[in-house]
Amino acid sequence: MTDLIVAQGLGKSFGTTRALDDVSFTVKPGRIVGLIGPNGAGKTTALKALLGLTRFDGRLSVLGLDPHRQRHQLMQDVCFIADVAVLPRWIRVRQLIDFVAATHPRFRRDVCEQFLARSDVKRNSRVKELSKGMVTQLHLALVMAIDARLLVLDEPTLGLDILMRKQFYETLLNEYFDEQRTILVTTHQVEEVEHILTDLLFIDRGRIVLDAAMDEIQSKYAQVAVRPEHVAAARTHRPLAERQGLGRIHMLFRDAPRAELERLGEIGVPSVADLFVAVIQGARA
Amino acid sequence: MSRFIWLVRREIWEHKAIWVAPLIVLACLVLATLTGNIHLGPIGSMDAGAGLGALPHDKQVRLLLVVYAGLALVMDWVLGIVAFFYALDSLYADRRDRSVLFWKSLPLSDAETVLSKFAVAAVVIPLVALAGAVLAQLIVAAGGSAKLAMAGEAAGIMWQPQAIMGGIVMAAVWCVTAMFWFAPVIGYLMLASAWAPRGPFLWAVLPPAALYMFEKVLLQTNYVGDFIKERLFGMLRIVRPETVAQVDPKTGEEVGREVIKLSELDLSGSLRDFYASADLWLGVVAAALLIAAAMWVRRYRDETA
Repeated sequence: MTDLIVAQGLGKSFGTTRALDDVSFTVKPGRIVGLIGPNGAGKTTALKALLGLTRFDGRLSVLGLDPHRQRHQLMQDVCFIADVAVLPRWIRVRQLIDFVAATHPRFRRDVCEQFLARSDVKRNSRVKELSKGMVTQLHLALVMAIDARLLVLDEPTLGLDILMRKQFYETLLNEYFDEQRTILVTTHQVEEVEHILTDLLFIDRGRIVLDAAMDEIQSKYAQVAVRPEHVAAARTHRPLAERQGLGRIHMLFRDAPRAELERLGEIGVPSVADLFVAVIQGARA
Repeated sequence: MSRFIWLVRREIWEHKAIWVAPLIVLACLVLATLTGNIHLGPIGSMDAGAGLGALPHDKQVRLLLVVYAGLALVMDWVLGIVAFFYALDSLYADRRDRSVLFWKSLPLSDAETVLSKFAVAAVVIPLVALAGAVLAQLIVAAGGSAKLAMAGEAAGIMWQPQAIMGGIVMAAVWCVTAMFWFAPVIGYLMLASAWAPRGPFLWAVLPPAALYMFEKVLLQTNYVGDFIKERLFGMLRIVRPETVAQVDPKTGEEVGREVIKLSELDLSGSLRDFYASADLWLGVVAAALLIAAAMWVRRYRDETA
């Protein structure tokens, strides 16, 4: 299958800061990719480059198009939520739905109405009269009703409570996502997305520090609860990170022999959050 | 309905002043007619239309035309101010509240977005002004008729075709001419609106003001000032040819002469000159360039900056 996104040597500077520094990655269709990084790592800049909202150096192709020069064409097949609360505050819900229905050829009003029916959003309210959570629900309802090939979500659940966040990701996975669609998502709440992601991209200080599929991660990385007597032996395998637990030291290994690790303690799959911390610290060290 | 119409509709949803402002003017007029206090323009109070019937016919027509034209002028000023602030706000407000990122997530090109906003300022608002002017004229004509009838005079005076049609034609001529004449002003304001990091009013007003001051102080000339004045008020030439001196409201003669010209729909002279002037068409070219620049800024402006 051809790649949906190809980025090669992507660069972007703000003054002396390198927001993106020689970033290269590819995204295949039908994946859910988590773009994860600390604040100021370059996530938003990368997404804006993909969406043709900012200039960049290097080569970038999204659905075979140059997002900078062919942005209008690209937006036929790409949908995004750049940040929360970007819906115009003056507009009425009804007007907003009418407008999107009239201007977006891939918008399905019935799907939007179906999503909205689960919320308390009233059609006659203005966006400014809605609570933060309702605005997000409205925005998500609009976006989910657009049959886009690529959906880009930048912190989509910011401001939602935990119930809504869970509900959102479940809906995204069960009712929106399919083989034809690709989702690129950034979030701070890694724990909530890790079970739906198929691929991980870690970005730190403008550089990609990890690019792997989830199943690759499960075979490559191992989290071992090392028994105290094996700590010295375990360290010979150069753990990426160590964390003190209850009577055990949790160590994260990469490409260490399975059989060896089994002798040291119980093996588990590292959480994305643990992996993230280890990789970022490793990259900075 | 085509996409462009929806884009225009969106603007009218957002900017209620476009129809609320003329409605307020009309409401004031209705109130004034009901309470019998119409003070308009050079003829002062036409309270109860007293004495109108006693005037000779051509004098009646002149007076009424001045009233009707005055009403159109009031509408034009009100909506001119609306258009000014609309254009200044048009490409800035959604950047300020970041909703521009939502609009940009829809498959709408920045060119058509800018064009729709330009169409609102340069075409829709003048048309609203025309409709408002015609309604205002009808309100005053109806109110005046009632007054005349109560005073026992012929109510039909207000509806003399030469006067009422003359007023409508004049409002229509202004409406169409304003679309061309003010297009570069709208274009300039929209470019400022697209470009300004914040406070588009200052970004729009300060550069010409600075140029004006610079010229005045250092070169002791006034080309910039004249240029701006000409663009803002030059359109009045249609009704007041440059050859005619300033009209004193007290001397009915001067007013009458021009107005009669209009009543006979003999705008041909000043209008032909106006439409044949290089100023008008250079302005249209400038407007096209300014709008193209606004589209470019809107498209390539770095939203992360």
